[in-house]
Amino acid sequence: MDRRELLSKAFEPHPASPGATRYTNAVLRNQNNEAVKFYDDLIRGKQCVVNFMYAECHGSCPAVTQTLKTIYRELKDRMGNNLFFYSITTKPEEDTPAALKHYAETRNVDLPGWQFLTGEPYDIETIRFRLFGMDHPGFDDDLTLHSSYLRVINDARNSWGMAQAFASNRNILRRIAWQDPPKSYAQNVVESRARQVLIEQEVKKYGYRRDVMS
Amino acid sequence: MPKKKANNRPEIEATTEGTVSRRTVLKIGAAAGAAGVLAPSMLTSTEALGFQAITEPVTCANGQPSPPHHPFVDDFTAPFPADDHPLNPQPTEFPNLGAGEFDRAPHPRWAQFAPAHFTYDLAAQAGLHQFHSDFGQTYIWGFNGQFPGPTIFGRYGKSGVVRFRNNLPATTTTFGRNEITIHLHNGHHGSESDGFAGDFFPINFWKDNLYPNVYAGIDAFGGNPGGDGVGDPKEKMGSFWYHDHRAEFTLNNNVLGLNGMYIVYDSTDPGHEVPSAGSLQLPGYYGVTDFPLELVDHRFCATAGGRTELVNAAGGDKFIVNGKIQPKLTVRRRKYRFRILNTGPTQTYDLTLIKPDGSVGTMTVIATDANFLEHPLPVDAGANAGNSNSTTAPIVPGAIRVSVAERFDVIIDFAEFSAGSKLYLRENRTMFVGNPSPDPLPPGLAIGNVLMQFNVVNREPWFPADTPAIPATLCTYPTMPATDNTWEWQFVLVGGRFRVKRPFDTVGCVFDPDHSAHCMLQGTTEEWLLNNNIASGWTHPVHIHFEEGRTLQRFVNGVPVPVPPLHSGRKDVYRLEAGQGALIKMQFRDYSGRYLIHCHNMAHEDNFMMVRWDIVPDQAALDACIADQQVCELEMKAKESFREEVA
Repeated sequence: MDRRELLSKAFEPHPASPGATRYTNAVLRNQNNEAVKFYDDLIRGKQCVVNFMYAECHGSCPAVTQTLKTIYRELKDRMGNNLFFYSITTKPEEDTPAALKHYAETRNVDLPGWQFLTGEPYDIETIRFRLFGMDHPGFDDDLTLHSSYLRVINDARNSWGMAQAFASNRNILRRIAWQDPPKSYAQNVVESRARQVLIEQEVKKYGYRRDVMS
Repeated sequence: MPKKKANNRPEIEATTEGTVSRRTVLKIGAAAGAAGVLAPSMLTSTEALGFQAITEPVTCANGQPSPPHHPFVDDFTAPFPADDHPLNPQPTEFPNLGAGEFDRAPHPRWAQFAPAHFTYDLAAQAGLHQFHSDFGQTYIWGFNGQFPGPTIFGRYGKSGVVRFRNNLPATTTTFGRNEITIHLHNGHHGSESDGFAGDFFPINFWKDNLYPNVYAGIDAFGGNPGGDGVGDPKEKMGSFWYHDHRAEFTLNNNVLGLNGMYIVYDSTDPGHEVPSAGSLQLPGYYGVTDFPLELVDHRFCATAGGRTELVNAAGGDKFIVNGKIQPKLTVRRRKYRFRILNTGPTQTYDLTLIKPDGSVGTMTVIATDANFLEHPLPVDAGANAGNSNSTTAPIVPGAIRVSVAERFDVIIDFAEFSAGSKLYLRENRTMFVGNPSPDPLPPGLAIGNVLMQFNVVNREPWFPADTPAIPATLCTYPTMPATDNTWEWQFVLVGGRFRVKRPFDTVGCVFDPDHSAHCMLQGTTEEWLLNNNIASGWTHPVHIHFEEGRTLQRFVNGVPVPVPPLHSGRKDVYRLEAGQGALIKMQFRDYSGRYLIHCHNMAHEDNFMMVRWDIVPDQAALDACIADQQVCELEMKAKESFREEVA
């Protein structure tokens, strides 16, 4: 069993995942100049966060990268195991793999589980539309509008959500967690019952519930 | 139709094969006949059919027009009423986690409102619905598998519990998300039952929402249960709707069908037309002379296997009324009430009634967003053209502009038309039809603009006689105390980011379920300036949970303008077109907890144009809350300053 086969066993996509028909299987290059297939190698069966940036960007991109770095620190146990970051350049003409490597190294973000990607401009435009297209020309034609959006994908449960890089880190972590693999019903029931016991003890002791959520 | 008594309800049983037994069908037929409601809609209830495995749809690519259809084939019907029956296990104050209820805060005022008079059990589940006879079945998500969801009935002074079950499929090929949180728009109840956007729960769990069906002002006006007598009767509302509010996926789940109407009656509006004490005697038999008119647009594609599936597209090319495309309704020569509701997800409707001669007919608006207007407002293109709800933009003469989540209760009097004449409800956008109209249309009317057709016939002897003229005064607006505090919300698009911004925010926070953006003491009265005046080319129908407000002033590009008549009543959705603002006044009473303000264009609210605000019970809680409300801004500022440094 070779490495790719092993990986495909480890990351099983959802049976209903539209797979490459949505995400495309465009061949991109990462900062280590390795060729990767966008769906098969990066998304298939995995949970990941995708954003768009470019190396020479001095507006929001460095702040977004900085945010992702903080998020990475919070989730470092999962990074590279079951959670991945992909930063795709919007200027593939300028951003060669070497340029992206330089970008990542100077910002100390050349980390396991975080890939900086470049490729054919047509492929990248397609991926941008597939991930961030809102069917709205005001959004879709303006490159800058996507710079602060993070697309959170979990192909194993065929779901995606969105996070805002300029929201608080806590908010972003929560939105990434919203795409985590779902708990099983049994696990939910076990947690519910345990909580029920605690609630009953509290009500008995204080006459009301103290962990009121509202 | 008056509310059925619980003990009269038809016994619906599913056999082990998951099909309906012949005996059940006969019973349903008998019960439905007696109730005067169409039996076929009952048979589509998956409650009767049991849980059936419904094949997930094939996904279609966007970009193709929907299949053609023939106009005026299907009948316009009212969504089937939800069935009131006992819950097992019984509702509890604290979440019944052991029995599968998902965690929530305890129901407030439980001692006052338990046990519930009405209990409903609605399961969000996959279903099949036929939007048009020319189409195959369409895969939808609906409450009890119905599209639109069953209509729930309540009565003021009688509390209700609705048990929402999440029986959605574990895996889906659709764009929906199988986690739900149900908002009753716009009920006066505790925050745990309000469908807070971050409180969604997973499949196979359920949650009880306690809807006490009380007028606002329980504390001030006493809380004697029974009758109409809880709260201030001037706060009466009628046409509520309930819908999924899952953060980020409100649009997707609502497009799939997770919404429905919730109608609350009281002695002024009792749900029948028999003269009774205090009754306004409006057309009031549900499904007979009183219809919801739930509007939604969809795009369809025909797939192999005969099904016609929904396409995940922004903006549909078929306009759907109560789950049917271009339906027809036979009306008698008398008055009818229509509760117009735009269930979205994003489009705005400009509705006009077209008479047989092509001119614009009169629709008399009696209620805006579920609240009676003080005086009914006729809207047409002639003498009453000024009554429309346009602040600036020249909309279609005589049109009622309905943005997402707005409700307009209108009365149309068909008595002035001769039997055999046909009227049309016109929408200003055009849908794709693909077939000519079977009847010659009035001059100037294109078939693509027609939402539905009214066929006028003479009233049969068995049909309820016409109601008296609409009373000149429908209600008195409640008086509000002096304003305690003023506040401003700015609805802005900053660098592609939809935000609800406070004036002191540099950028504004995105929706954060954990932290409040504004806090107030329970019992205070506030004036809020809703401002869409800042570098905006967008329309935002702003919705505020929990409380109805009055518009004191409207603004266009910062200049005060008069409040248009249709905005002058009590509302909970405030339509702000580009450059517009509204100053509104509200009281926050009876409950404390987390509520929301957001743009009800569901694409905008899913893209973070939503914030949480809190009502707190005492000063200590207020101090804690105010400290907390800085959290988001401080975090955002830290990031923004970083951006400026490197820029």
